[in-house]
Amino acid sequence: MPPFQGQRVALIAVFCLVLMWVDNEYQWLDPVRYAIGYTVAPAQKTAVVPLSVAEWLGENASLRRELLKENKILAARNLVLERKAQRMASLEAENMSLRELLSASDQVDDKVLVTSVTAVDPDPYTQQIIIDKGGSDGVFVGQPVLDAHGLLGQVIDVLPLSSRVLMIADSNHAVPVQVNRNGVRAIATGTGALNELELIYVPNTADIKVGDMLVSSGLGGRYPKGYPVATVTSIVNEPGESFASVKAEPTAKLDRSRHLLLVFTDQSGRVPPAQLWGTAE
Amino acid sequence: MKLQSVVYILIMLFLAFVLEHLPLPEVISWFQPSWVILVITAVVLYAPSAFGLWVAVPVGLMLDVEQGSLLGLHVLLIALHVYLLQLLYRRMYLFNVLQQAGVIFLMVMAEQILHYWAVAMLREDATPVLLFEVALTTAFLWPWMYAIGYRSLRRLERG
Repeated sequence: MPPFQGQRVALIAVFCLVLMWVDNEYQWLDPVRYAIGYTVAPAQKTAVVPLSVAEWLGENASLRRELLKENKILAARNLVLERKAQRMASLEAENMSLRELLSASDQVDDKVLVTSVTAVDPDPYTQQIIIDKGGSDGVFVGQPVLDAHGLLGQVIDVLPLSSRVLMIADSNHAVPVQVNRNGVRAIATGTGALNELELIYVPNTADIKVGDMLVSSGLGGRYPKGYPVATVTSIVNEPGESFASVKAEPTAKLDRSRHLLLVFTDQSGRVPPAQLWGTAE
Repeated sequence: MKLQSVVYILIMLFLAFVLEHLPLPEVISWFQPSWVILVITAVVLYAPSAFGLWVAVPVGLMLDVEQGSLLGLHVLLIALHVYLLQLLYRRMYLFNVLQQAGVIFLMVMAEQILHYWAVAMLREDATPVLLFEVALTTAFLWPWMYAIGYRSLRRLERG
């Protein structure tokens, strides 16, 4: 062993602790993380190869009959969605004119980018996934992520060719929501289980019923307004407790969706939550 | 050291990173071994003079980015691992594979405790880490790593 090895290890340990503290408290190291991301990208791409090969084989080995059947189903679905979209156009126009009357112009339709899931974080204590779009596609930290059924989560870490998404079911995550039926506001926090969210600080007398659809309220300033988040599955009123215990099931297929949408909302005039707290103090 | 050995080590490290990233079902993910630690163990035992503490910096930073942990956390863990190996490698050569696996089990568990301490010091909401599961699977896989890592490297050097 080289001399002074123990001292060297102690030095590295102190250096690492300082590095971790800086990384935890400030954003100075984000460019470093981004640059190191390039070195990890090849391994990440390779890890997905078996998955893409299996998908490719599945697509190529399916029978013509099945493809025709699938095509028919998709065409039918498309027709239904087209009909909805027609009504949507008129509703959107109506909404805009009403908003103009209220002099509160707002964009209803957001720009989106399609992405697919390349990996699920193996750490069982967090609910995170990794997607195949990164900083070079314009992805930013805090960007909302949807799947075909509803809100899925937000981007928390951007690398050049991939990003890390924190799902709404993570126990460190909370979304401001409102009941679609009557606009009652609440906060939906993750429980760590993929199929359950919990509404916190709901008064016992609040008008929430089982089966109510919860949509994002847009109040946190991070998620756009009006995307479906969850459906209420159970309400328990404990006498003596100040708040009702309300459980809800996410509408997004957190454990199944392969293709996701990154939403580009208008960021102008929006204050990041961190700065908001800074000015409040 | 021969060029072949260097290439072989780089390939092993690359594969370890691929395995770290591999999507796994929830149940198995609790027992995800630390592949990179396994490779580093074999490499340090193979050439303790060439692979010193410096290995921890590039590999640790890459692992931090890959896992989305605080930058420096895995540098610290790998540096400690390399240091412990340097303290013990003479004894490790005399051990049989099972005894080596036992030592690796204890080392990985100590590092997981350190992992927990470091995160708990810096964040209030420190999640518990997996002490036994990771150490257990890592030690369990050591005999194979010993064969394909250490022994093959030795053979490359000789042949």
